[in-house]
Amino acid sequence: MGKEQLGERLASAASMPKDVVMKAAVLTALGNFEVCIENYRGIIEYTECLVRVQTKGGQIRLTGKRLQVEYYTNDEMKITGKIESIGFADGRNKE
Amino acid sequence: MIRSFIRYLKGYVKIRIQGFSPERFLNMCSYHDIYIWGLVPVGNGYEMYISITDFRRLKPLARKTHSKVTLIKRCGFPFFLFHYRKRKLFFFGLLICIILLKVYSLFIWDIHFEGNEKWPDETLAEYLKSQGVAPLMLKSEVDCPGIVKNIRKEYNDIVWVSASVDGSRLKIQIKENDDTLLNESGDENTEKKTSAAGKEGPTDLIAKADGVITSIVTRSGVPQVHAGDEVTKGDILVLGRVDVVNDSGEVTGYQYQQSDADIFADTELEYTDSIPRTYQEKVYDDKKRYQAYIRAGDFRISVGTISNQYENSELTVTEHQLKAGENFYLPFSWGIKKVRSYTFHEKTYTEEEIREILSGNFQRFCKDLEEKGIQIRENSVKIHLYADSASASGPLYLNERITEEADTEILTIERKETDEPVGTDD
Repeated sequence: MGKEQLGERLASAASMPKDVVMKAAVLTALGNFEVCIENYRGIIEYTECLVRVQTKGGQIRLTGKRLQVEYYTNDEMKITGKIESIGFADGRNKE
Repeated sequence: MIRSFIRYLKGYVKIRIQGFSPERFLNMCSYHDIYIWGLVPVGNGYEMYISITDFRRLKPLARKTHSKVTLIKRCGFPFFLFHYRKRKLFFFGLLICIILLKVYSLFIWDIHFEGNEKWPDETLAEYLKSQGVAPLMLKSEVDCPGIVKNIRKEYNDIVWVSASVDGSRLKIQIKENDDTLLNESGDENTEKKTSAAGKEGPTDLIAKADGVITSIVTRSGVPQVHAGDEVTKGDILVLGRVDVVNDSGEVTGYQYQQSDADIFADTELEYTDSIPRTYQEKVYDDKKRYQAYIRAGDFRISVGTISNQYENSELTVTEHQLKAGENFYLPFSWGIKKVRSYTFHEKTYTEEEIREILSGNFQRFCKDLEEKGIQIRENSVKIHLYADSASASGPLYLNERITEEADTEILTIERKETDEPVGTDD
């Protein structure tokens, strides 16, 4: 049993929020024009049509048009624009 | 909204990051709690907004990530001030503004009255002015308890007053006695009574008109009439002299007092009103002259003239006075004078019109009577039309208070009593 699985079990057993225990990323999408990301590690790539964000479990890929980072702080970022897809990729080295 | 305003006050800059790995720079920023907004990719770098204080912390991060920071734009209030630092008059004006604001706030600029119905604002303001309380007085000189005391002393029917300074406005709240508003006629009576009491002479009540008594309630004095009695003008209704009698029923002396009674009687009143059938009507012709003016104290500037040779003319003046707030009149006024020429045309009323006018007059007369507390029992007023005039006439049957005060006749007792006992002894 991996460390992550153990954490997941612990979290569900203690009914604690997983974003706190497992440091899972929280994505809040508002329509297709606004996405809020919390619990991330950093930006890997940022262009007008692609944003890649590194989180603990992997990467998040946002594709779209006219993407813009409204604000960027240590614990939260907001991306606006016309979002076409949100994808999750495993690990740091894939992609 | 408020956030962007705070940002503007504190000042912020737009910078461009270029270099080997600008993303690393961004992540470093977020790690060091540097707030970034409006991030846009440009070419091989990024452009973003950052506050001034955070901008000063960027240098070590830029060196560490081998990226180049270029300042593109300065925004915000600190830069604005810096940009106009050489405009001395601007700063001087700002200073003057602050000083004036402070100085002006030392004065009372307006007096606001609340809750007054019977006493108009103007009267109260006039009274306060006579007491030295007027707009433009120093706020520190306002003596609220003194104002309250003075108003209460001056106006008897104001039952409650509160004065408070509200910013640069003096607020006076008033509660009037509603009872005195309702029966002012009764109020007058009591005033008369007190004035009579001032004289302290005995009084009778006499009839002020002919009539038949319908009700009599005597509070002091000796009633001389009963309900149903017919009285004529001048008859004594209540006597202010009370007889003092001895055991054998003889009058030995008199006590005098002021009579007081409510006596109502049915009375009759002859109503006549006549108007001629022809009348002069003003017909305005198109000749007009205007004069507009502005007045400051005694000095006035005017445009136009109103001097004319019209046969008949009408002069109207409309004037407005400039005022600050509610009761602070400034010595500036403006207005317009207008002269209109007119001629008289003789016209006759139609039958309908004349009836309308006469009945309108009569109705107004009745309303006046009712306001005085006189009840109209019946009226036989008729409208008569003649060749050159019309009249409304006829008796009105009323029920009203018919008392009037008069001095009591002072009687002296003839000194008979001293003789009589002697006689019986004999």
